[in-house]
Amino acid sequence: MNTSEIDIFEFSQRGEEVPHAPAYRVRIDGETVTVDTPRPTGELLLGKVGKRPCAFELIEEFVHDKNDVVEPGEEVDLRRRGLKGFITAHKEIVTIFINDQPYQIERGERTVAEILGKVGQTPDGYVLLEEKKGPPMPLPANLPVKIHGCEIFFSQPQSGGSS
Amino acid sequence: MEYPKEQIEDLKGYCSKVRAAKEGEITYLYLEDLRLPAGCTPEVCDGLLCPVARDGYPSRLFLSVQVSPPYPRNWNVSNARIGEKNWYVFSWRVNLVSPTLVQMLVAHLTGFTKEK
Repeated sequence: MNTSEIDIFEFSQRGEEVPHAPAYRVRIDGETVTVDTPRPTGELLLGKVGKRPCAFELIEEFVHDKNDVVEPGEEVDLRRRGLKGFITAHKEIVTIFINDQPYQIERGERTVAEILGKVGQTPDGYVLLEEKKGPPMPLPANLPVKIHGCEIFFSQPQSGGSS
Repeated sequence: MEYPKEQIEDLKGYCSKVRAAKEGEITYLYLEDLRLPAGCTPEVCDGLLCPVARDGYPSRLFLSVQVSPPYPRNWNVSNARIGEKNWYVFSWRVNLVSPTLVQMLVAHLTGFTKEK
C-alpha cells in the first residue's frame, strides 16, 4: 500500500479521526478505489466503479450500521469519523435521455408509447430511436423496451409508409 | 453519380463496410453487415441502398435476405438481380425531402418498426 494513501475503512474501525492525505482508499461495493480529494461528489465516487447516477444511487455506510443516500452533486467528507465506505443500489426510478433531455421513468420493460409520451409524442406520428452500441436505430412500436437507466433515445417524425 | 463522402462515412455506423456499386445508370451503396432494428430476424444482413428513384419509389433499400420483422411487410420484389446477387425489398415509400444518406437509410429501417 502506498503510504501517502489513507484507508478510511481502517480508521473507521479504529474509531480514529481520518487525517489529511494526498489520496484516500475507499471501499465501494467491496471494491477498493483511490480518491485524490477529501471531498468527492457522489457522482465521482459512482464513476470510480463504472456506475452513473442515471441508474444507480450511492449510499454511505458508517460504523454502527448508519446509512445515508448521497446525491450525485453532493460532496462527501471522506474524513468524517465513522465513515467506512459506500455501497451502490440500482434505482427503481431511473433517468433516461430523450432528445438530449433527462426524464424519469420506472426501471423495467416499458412501451415505446410510454417513452414517447414523456415528450408529448405518440407512435402514430413519431418514431423512437435508441442509441446503443452504435448510432440511433428505430425501435419497433410493438415490442417492449428494456430500461435499466441512462438509455439514450431520440424521436423523429414518421418519415415514410407502406405503399 | 457520386455521393458526399462525409455522408458515406456516416453510413459506416450502421454496417461494417460501405462501397459504391454501379449498375446501369444507378450507383448503389453496398452496406455490408447492415444492422437491422430490434425484433428482426436475422439481426444483420447485407443491404443495397438505392438513393435515387427506382421502380416508382424515390429511394429503395434492397436486402440480401427476406427479413422477418416485428410487423409483416409486403415484399414486392424478390430475387432482384443487382451486382450478380439476388435482393429483396418491401414496399416502403420514404417521404423525406432531400434527406442525407443516413436519414434515408434510417427511414427505410423504420419500415420494420411500424404497422403501416
